[in-house]
Amino acid sequence: MPVITACSRITPLQDLTELYHELGMEYPKFFKMDDLCRASLLGAELVLRKVGMADSAPKTDMALVMQNGSSSLDTDTKYLETISPENYFPSPATFSYTLANILTGEICIRYKIFGESSLYICEKFSPEDLVRAVNWALRDHTCTGCLCGWADCHYGVHDVMMMLASREGEGPDFSADTLNDLYK
Amino acid sequence: MAELSLVEELKVKILNALNLTDMTPEDIDAGQPLFGSGLGLDSIDALELIVLMEKDYGIKIKDPAEAKTIFVSVSHMADYIAEHRTK
Repeated sequence: MPVITACSRITPLQDLTELYHELGMEYPKFFKMDDLCRASLLGAELVLRKVGMADSAPKTDMALVMQNGSSSLDTDTKYLETISPENYFPSPATFSYTLANILTGEICIRYKIFGESSLYICEKFSPEDLVRAVNWALRDHTCTGCLCGWADCHYGVHDVMMMLASREGEGPDFSADTLNDLYK
Repeated sequence: MAELSLVEELKVKILNALNLTDMTPEDIDAGQPLFGSGLGLDSIDALELIVLMEKDYGIKIKDPAEAKTIFVSVSHMADYIAEHRTK
């Protein structure tokens, strides 16, 4: 069974821009992202820092599996405002974030994660499904770890929990029970 | 040369349109390149600037090659706007 070698949690109370500055990150693209991608990127940064991998060194042996509840609904709504018949000026920058799986792309680009990546839309955080999907990703013998978790943003309220599930290492079991405990 | 007020107004509009929330108008040198080494804008930003030109100044840019010559710098953009604006 894989183990959790690092975990991060970003609650709705944490201001994303403040956290970005607290972490001393230098990634201007962060400010162009929507809140879902910002929160996800920060979640990934926190996890990868704990294992000394928050850099742009290629990670060919790492996969990424995420879950999300509200898709990109906040940004979809924002984009809709730019295409109202009365004021029709479609925003390309907003449009580029009208897909929830853009968050996986942003994380992979920033940290050069070259393994398989996937995102599942679920009604709510589903530890059982996440464990199943991560175990499936880790069946690839070239994959030694999987960055994974839950990232959601709706009505401007974000909620993120991310982990690194590793084939080897020390930490709690990567099981649905553990995830339920961590998410509480 | 475009009025200084238009240059300053444009800086604010660019920061807002491109979500450059970590920057202030003072951080932008009107003569510095917008793409590449300067502000480091990308192709999506270029599209956003085209929308800004039409929405705020009534200027329609249909030819991407033309956009390349306009979006050289903020002062270049301001000069073009001063000459072609319809609102």
